[in-house]
Amino acid sequence: MALLTPSRRPAAASKEPAPRTLPQRRRGTGARKQLTAWLFLVPALLVFGLFAWWPIVRSLLISFQKTNLVDPAVWVGLDNFRALFDDPLLATAVGNTLFFVGLGLLIGFPAPLVLAAIMSTVRRGAGVYRFLVYLPVVIPPVVAILLWKWFYDPGSGLFNNVLGKVGLGPYSWLESSDSAMLSLVLESTWAGMGGAVLIYLAAMVGIPGELYEAAEVDGAGIWRRIWHVMLPQLRSVIGLLLLVQLINTVQVFTEPYVFTGGGPDNSTLTVLLLIFRYAFQDGEYGQAAALSFLMVLALALLSGVYLRATRSWSTS
Amino acid sequence: MALTATLAGCSSLTPSSAGGDGDLVLRVQGMPPATDKPGVALFKKQVADFEKANPGIKVKGSTTVFDPLTFSAKLSGGNVEDVIRVPLTEPQRLIQQKQVQPITGQLKEWEHFKEFNPQVLQPLTDSAGDVYGVPQNPYAQGLVYNRELFEKAGLDPDRPPATWAEVRTAAKKISDSTGRAGFVHESKDNQGGWQLTMLSYAFGGELQKEEGGKYTATLTGEPTKKALGLLKDMRWKDDSLGKTLLNNQNDVIKQFAAGQVGMFMGSPGTYRLAKMQFGMENTDAFGVAPMPQSGGDSTLTGGDIYMVPKSADKKHAAAAVDWLTFAYAKPQYSTDMAAEQAKALSADPKSAVGVPTLPVFDKARQAEIDAAIKPYVNVKLQNFKPYTDGLSTLKLKPEPPFQAQTLYTALDPVVQAVLTKRDADIDALLASAEKDVNAKLAADQK
Repeated sequence: MALLTPSRRPAAASKEPAPRTLPQRRRGTGARKQLTAWLFLVPALLVFGLFAWWPIVRSLLISFQKTNLVDPAVWVGLDNFRALFDDPLLATAVGNTLFFVGLGLLIGFPAPLVLAAIMSTVRRGAGVYRFLVYLPVVIPPVVAILLWKWFYDPGSGLFNNVLGKVGLGPYSWLESSDSAMLSLVLESTWAGMGGAVLIYLAAMVGIPGELYEAAEVDGAGIWRRIWHVMLPQLRSVIGLLLLVQLINTVQVFTEPYVFTGGGPDNSTLTVLLLIFRYAFQDGEYGQAAALSFLMVLALALLSGVYLRATRSWSTS
Repeated sequence: MALTATLAGCSSLTPSSAGGDGDLVLRVQGMPPATDKPGVALFKKQVADFEKANPGIKVKGSTTVFDPLTFSAKLSGGNVEDVIRVPLTEPQRLIQQKQVQPITGQLKEWEHFKEFNPQVLQPLTDSAGDVYGVPQNPYAQGLVYNRELFEKAGLDPDRPPATWAEVRTAAKKISDSTGRAGFVHESKDNQGGWQLTMLSYAFGGELQKEEGGKYTATLTGEPTKKALGLLKDMRWKDDSLGKTLLNNQNDVIKQFAAGQVGMFMGSPGTYRLAKMQFGMENTDAFGVAPMPQSGGDSTLTGGDIYMVPKSADKKHAAAAVDWLTFAYAKPQYSTDMAAEQAKALSADPKSAVGVPTLPVFDKARQAEIDAAIKPYVNVKLQNFKPYTDGLSTLKLKPEPPFQAQTLYTALDPVVQAVLTKRDADIDALLASAEKDVNAKLAADQK
């Protein structure tokens, strides 16, 4: 037995090293595999580096230069940033952008959630409603804006015609500094809502029905079920979409560019439109790059603070 | 981030290369789009004739048109043709930014160089006297009006308004009796500033002055204030400027082509846009007068300019100037070439042949060219007569020579404020715009 035991032991022991040798073999083929993986990755990294990261680095460099992109660039230190802060339009553009973001949060953010909640209760023809809600997302932005431009036309536009029939208006919509930004927000809410509605609908499907049933048994009405069951279950999706909307609305460009060109009286001049003007109207590439970079920093900061503040949402 | 990518993504692409058989390949803008069959045929014939006369050069036409959105980036990246076409708003900026090259030396070799109209060349010339381009179809701004609406409002279309007081009266009559906009002033995409500049010229104003080689903006002059005061009165007292107040040039011409606008400041060339681009059906309603005046006796000039970008190397630049002379200078001088071109274009009923332009050389030469193309003219010339008759009394003034676009950008919101706010304070608006512009101009002239 005494002999047998050891003889068995090596047998058992011979099994034990097996898992040890396996990682060794894995390491050998792993290096090759890693090399192969890297080889496959290199083109993607090169393309990503060349077209995504290099332009970002280049534009940071340009923000410290005076350049027309033809002659050799001249280093000017912080001059571009100083010129930015000397430009009174910067404050206007930042204020307008924040106004757009605020109106977007107020009008554009709850709209898809409410619509999704209503649509989730519809059984018949749900596909048709989803199609109708998503349709504006498919329409090219410029086409949608031109269509809405006609809706907003102060003379023969659809909105004033319809409102006129019930004794309202006519309103100036885009032609007045007081209402121009609101008009932009209404259109962009209509145009961008479809994607968010679909995401909410998908998330709502994932909420266990028992939760609603339990709430119902406990005597909860529809509003209580929404407040105490649906919204908490959607919290992480709501959080994510809020961040996406914040980033998107801060970068608003197409609407003010095509609708109003920043007017009337700079009331729809946004930060991105100002960057565009610096670069493509004034040829001040350095200033444009400097403002772009400040904007990226602000967005990164906003995202960081936001994610930190809402970390508990996804873990609770 | 899209912008950062756009800005920095430009690389120095080789603009041109020698042809496979050793020929130099010259890439030129100015080829008409495929839909303009007579235009394309004419262009191809010009290319064939040029290549025959200049062995060793192959011309490759490009239909690319000036697009402010992409032009700067393409030009900066060296990715433009060897001959570029830009509107007259651009040459001074391009010259100042050294993005184009002078062509004086080679252009002078053409025997008729000295006969160029100096007023037409002035906006293409730098302070040292070097010329940077060849103009085509230059024009002076005037007053475009709808003859049909004039008649409906009880106005005589053969006697268009000659002063701005008359414009105001006519606009009110049109607005009151037809419900259409009596007069429309452009107000966005820098065109508000551009039109305020021409209006200010008509009142005797200057928007920029040069002292000791430095340019400053002079936006607070009395004539500019009067010009804005007129717009304010027309908008808020007369209500004759229509309902849509944020318009660029295309918006206005589109509305005009649809018969919705009584008058706007424009050139005879807008006939081409109204008819060919926006489908104006009743082209007989198109009338044009010289710019009405209120003490300025001046009007602003414009046109298409062909230039050679800095990215073209020496050989290509030399070939480019040969092409410019052949394709644009000579046909505006030679009656035979002009007639041949007019004949080719008139083959298409949708074309507009005979729209008056400013003489690129002198009046006598232009008269000979007009006579040569007469058999092919398909526009109603008598509707252009008030313009051609009255133009000679006006001084032609180029746009502000230094950073005109910066001025226009600052003036757009001023015009918009006057048009959209009843209590807009003209003095304060102009003072603020002048301060902003001068800060920018000073920074650019350090």
